[in-house]
Amino acid sequence: MPYLPTSQAFLEQSCLLLEAYPETTRITAKYNFPSTQTRSSRKPTSPTTTNGASNAPAAPVASLTLKTYDPRSGVCLKYRTNKVAEVGRLFTSFGKLAAGADVASLGLTGAAAPTAATADVEMGDAPALEESAGAAAGATGGSQQGATTGAGTTPAKAGGGKSKKKGGKGKR
Amino acid sequence: MAPHLTHEEFFSSLTNLLNQTSQKARGSVFLTQKALIEPTTEEGAVAPSRPSILIRATDGNTSAPNPKSSANGGVSKTKSKASKVKISTVVAADELETFYTRYAEVCKAGMSGLKKRDRKRGKAKKGAAAKVAK
Repeated sequence: MPYLPTSQAFLEQSCLLLEAYPETTRITAKYNFPSTQTRSSRKPTSPTTTNGASNAPAAPVASLTLKTYDPRSGVCLKYRTNKVAEVGRLFTSFGKLAAGADVASLGLTGAAAPTAATADVEMGDAPALEESAGAAAGATGGSQQGATTGAGTTPAKAGGGKSKKKGGKGKR
Repeated sequence: MAPHLTHEEFFSSLTNLLNQTSQKARGSVFLTQKALIEPTTEEGAVAPSRPSILIRATDGNTSAPNPKSSANGGVSKTKSKASKVKISTVVAADELETFYTRYAEVCKAGMSGLKKRDRKRGKAKKGAAAKVAK
């Protein structure tokens, strides 16, 4: 369950996951405030410092956690933000994702990203083939994992998790 | 489960839900979207290219009692335990764009607990200055 560093990376990877598993992948946005326990521990300090200001700034800052999850492959991508400025853009992108947009039409990729991302799509398909092929494919999964680790950091996180699982199954 | 709401009903309920959460400054709102594949219609009318999207929103409350709160015996906790809010709507493929434009607006307006871009820097500085002064 990696937290992706940027919203762009999150949207790209989510898009690829939706492409691979369009029927089962779901996107969840959780808007939440920190739990009351942490709040009460912070509270004694904050009211004294913010006398003039209203109570709102003293209140904890909410966060928005985005999660794309596919129960079939077990892939889970996450991204967390607390900036309201990102919300509009993210939800607009969700709309594009829901409409079945591909990575290119999301309009946020640079030149280098799509190639690395395409490699990850192949990774998404590979485990399914391995499953049907049986335990013998465990070695192939291992070598693929090595290949993606070289390809880039973000795809390696998403893809690496998958192949690690498969590798473990094969060995045992 | 309750039947799906129309888009208008969904947005007004969602606005309420987000505003309440923001005002209380506690709790969560979960928004989920997924492709809606109805098993019954698959054989008759196959339209796999553009399925409808199911949108759900919930506050994550559960109707089951929380063992923690009952152990604490807190009065406020039992009061705040409102019944679970769970709303959903279905968006057809050709309505997606209009829906999501509105959806983004509603969420942006409702999620007032997040950091605002302009306020953030000013208040951080003011807060720091106040701490130093006192």
